Amino acid sequence: MEITTTVDTKGLSCPMPMMKLAKAMKGIKSGEAVEMFGTDPGTKSDLPKWCNKSGNILVEQSDVEDGVFRFVIQKK
Amino acid sequence: MSESKKTGIFSELYTLLFAKNWPVWVGAILAGAINVFMFAVASPWSGSAGYGSWGKNFYKAVNILGFEGTQSMLDNKWAMLSIMIVLGSFIAALFSKNFAIRIPPIGEIVKGFLGGCLMAIGATVGIGCSIGGFFSGVPALSGGAIMLTIGLFIGTIVAVKYLFWEMEHLPGISTGKGYSFLGATKETGNWQKYLGFVVAIVLFFIAYKYFQAGQDILGWFIVFGGFLGFISQRSIFCIVRAFREPFMSGDADGAKGIIAGLLVVLFGFVVIKTMNIGVGDTLLRSREMSFVHGNFWARGLLGGFVFGIGMTIAGGCAVGTLWRMGEGQIKLWFSAIGFLLLSPISSKFIVPWVEDTLPFTAQYKNYLPDYLGYPGAVGLVLLILFVWYWFVVWNERTGKFSQF
Repeated sequence: MEITTTVDTKGLSCPMPMMKLAKAMKGIKSGEAVEMFGTDPGTKSDLPKWCNKSGNILVEQSDVEDGVFRFVIQKK
Repeated sequence: MSESKKTGIFSELYTLLFAKNWPVWVGAILAGAINVFMFAVASPWSGSAGYGSWGKNFYKAVNILGFEGTQSMLDNKWAMLSIMIVLGSFIAALFSKNFAIRIPPIGEIVKGFLGGCLMAIGATVGIGCSIGGFFSGVPALSGGAIMLTIGLFIGTIVAVKYLFWEMEHLPGISTGKGYSFLGATKETGNWQKYLGFVVAIVLFFIAYKYFQAGQDILGWFIVFGGFLGFISQRSIFCIVRAFREPFMSGDADGAKGIIAGLLVVLFGFVVIKTMNIGVGDTLLRSREMSFVHGNFWARGLLGGFVFGIGMTIAGGCAVGTLWRMGEGQIKLWFSAIGFLLLSPISSKFIVPWVEDTLPFTAQYKNYLPDYLGYPGAVGLVLLILFVWYWFVVWNERTGKFSQF
């Protein structure tokens, strides 16, 4: 799995993180992945739900520092 | 042995309340129940009235625009309720280690401010916001509230289209350096939990002082505000999400949750209105007309439309803005500033113009039971909720209107 795009949504509140992620996912091929950094707590529940619905795979979710989360999402 | 059992119980309770967000329907039902209690104590829940009081007190403090006679925020139940929603959310964010000062790029801050200004205009023109005009107004069986709700939907759809256009054509607005301070991880930031305890004690102490001074209604509104903020932060209770998500991700959970909350409010409000339950010797007709304003039909529709655009651009409705302030979302602090600054100005300069321009037949009080009886009015609201429920569930399955 290759991370081809990084999306920085630090400081952004909903709906912008999910909008930016969806746009980035459109720009990659199947099997490739997007790395996303965010700070909006709502994204922690929105993103897994969206992955379940869209079929994309949430490969990794972790706390980095100072309230920053990191997600890795692989395109189906 | 008993000590370890105690630790286990507290740990389990902590995990239940703070490890993950609650389902929206849990928060909406609890918020709905509190809304019913508020009506029984004094009045249904209003969001925009709090911003209005904050704004008037600001202009009073700087001595401009003629608001010298404004009631102090400390004596205004709506102002105190809104402050306590921020504080209640702050407590919930601290306990769950979700608090951080989150600073977005400057373009987002501007959008937050402008969204707040539009919400102020919409709420004053339409006589109601996402809370007073919708979450309280519709269960209050107000015809104008239903028109305002239709306006909210149309405004939300227009603004969602704008946000997608902005992403494609003006991506720089939401791009740039964002910052986060004072955040925590699972392993770090335990100070947030301790501070949460301190702030919770402060909130209840403030309520206690009001009760001690004989200001029971204000005391209760402080307690209600604290719980509403706490519940909203834990469950992501936000009207704009319920309206917007079917047209974005297609997620129906927000809408289904709000519908569940509205059912609770509808049941409670109808009991209160028909049985004339409440504090004081208010006449039955006066109780029935609570939260039925002169906004049927065009005035509610117009105000709702402007409010819908504002809340979608801001990323938070009247209550969503307050509890996200408590989470440390700086964009929403600017939304609140726009909301509070524009509310008095709109009331003073825009509303009189709207009142003079629209004919009376486009801005009168419409109490649905007067035309349909209580069974017909309740049936109409239930039908609207059922159609909304059917639409969001169907849309979630088919993705017909969702964008991603």
